[in-house]
Amino acid sequence: MNWIHLLEKGIWFGFAAMGFAVLFNVPVRTLRLIFLIGAIGGLMKALLLELEANVIFASLGGAILVGYVSILAAHNKHAPPMVFAIPSVIPMVPGVFAYRMMLGVIQLSGMKNEQYDLVLVETIDNGLKATFILFSLALGVAIPLLITRKDSIKKRIIK
Amino acid sequence: MAEKENGQELKELAQTLLQIGALLMSSGANSQRIRKTLHRIAGEFQCHIDLLITHRALMLNISDAQKQHFYSAIKRTEPVGVNFKIVSGISRMSWRLVQEHWSIAQLKKELDGLLSLTHYPRIVILLMVGLAGASFCRLFGGEWLDMVVTFSATFIGLVVRQEVTKRSFNPYLCIFFAAFTSSLIAGFPVVYFDVIHEQALFSAVLYLIPGVPLINSFSDLIHGETMTGIVRSVNGLLIAFSIALGFMLATKICELYLI
Repeated sequence: MNWIHLLEKGIWFGFAAMGFAVLFNVPVRTLRLIFLIGAIGGLMKALLLELEANVIFASLGGAILVGYVSILAAHNKHAPPMVFAIPSVIPMVPGVFAYRMMLGVIQLSGMKNEQYDLVLVETIDNGLKATFILFSLALGVAIPLLITRKDSIKKRIIK
Repeated sequence: MAEKENGQELKELAQTLLQIGALLMSSGANSQRIRKTLHRIAGEFQCHIDLLITHRALMLNISDAQKQHFYSAIKRTEPVGVNFKIVSGISRMSWRLVQEHWSIAQLKKELDGLLSLTHYPRIVILLMVGLAGASFCRLFGGEWLDMVVTFSATFIGLVVRQEVTKRSFNPYLCIFFAAFTSSLIAGFPVVYFDVIHEQALFSAVLYLIPGVPLINSFSDLIHGETMTGIVRSVNGLLIAFSIALGFMLATKICELYLI
């Protein structure tokens, strides 16, 4: 396992999360934490991939970690968990798979030879991977909130 | 605590609640959060509310505790764009209201304060989103030169998107223009120079991905807000389709000059 390489990846994950945080106009006090959460979520995914896990499960693992840490961060910084979670999972989007699927679809639309079957199989494979990774990112962020079964992150104040 | 001798206060509260709900919907909150926030605020004023939340309109029926007065209103929600500062601010505001027992006037004043919150400076947004694009490129295995290409394509694409949005074009058309611009700028170096890899090209449109609609769609669906969830996911798919269209057109144009 190449630790230096992993660490560098973590930094890029953090920057990607932070860029989206700025685009979504998050409160300034949450920016540093979003960098951190994006980095550890991405590292979790990278680590699972290193351990030969399926890319879909690796993304799910990363997203669950992001969802869980976002709940803790929400307590600390008094902002809803989604403010932390959404920018942090976006760097895990399956860009490569989606791109290859699109290229495949473009190729298929103007093709009539023996290669057709091969390209079709690859396109379907990439498309399914992209779809399920997106699905597992959304699911992963939601799972910690569902399990803790909190209506709201703050405790109800008894009047 | 508000005294509701006539329906006037009730009306005022209903209008304020609708404004808060519409603001949350425009800023990218999910339906669950809108429902909870409005119920929390209404409960503090000892009123009962029933809500109908859709993607483009909010409907609210409010009554006081004695069921003496009723008031119904509907408000259209405008899709302004994701703004988590507002979502976070309204969340904090609703909790402070419960703790400090505000009047309706105070609630309105705080809400006006929230509306005046600023965005990041434009150049900061452009640079940070450009950096995010370059990070994507690196994560997918691009080299330093590819990152520079992605950075510039993202930067200029986002400028185009902001400018087109200002001129209030159709939102999907704005996304299409931005995707087309970014793919064109990143596409030419990828096609012409062997040093630049394809990673630079598909990282350049990733700043447009509909992350918020898709994740919100999912959370709405699992909370039983099925209609809104479906609407949001279709919206996300349309955005993805617009990106794909811009990307395809640009790559076709880049390849034309190869021959």
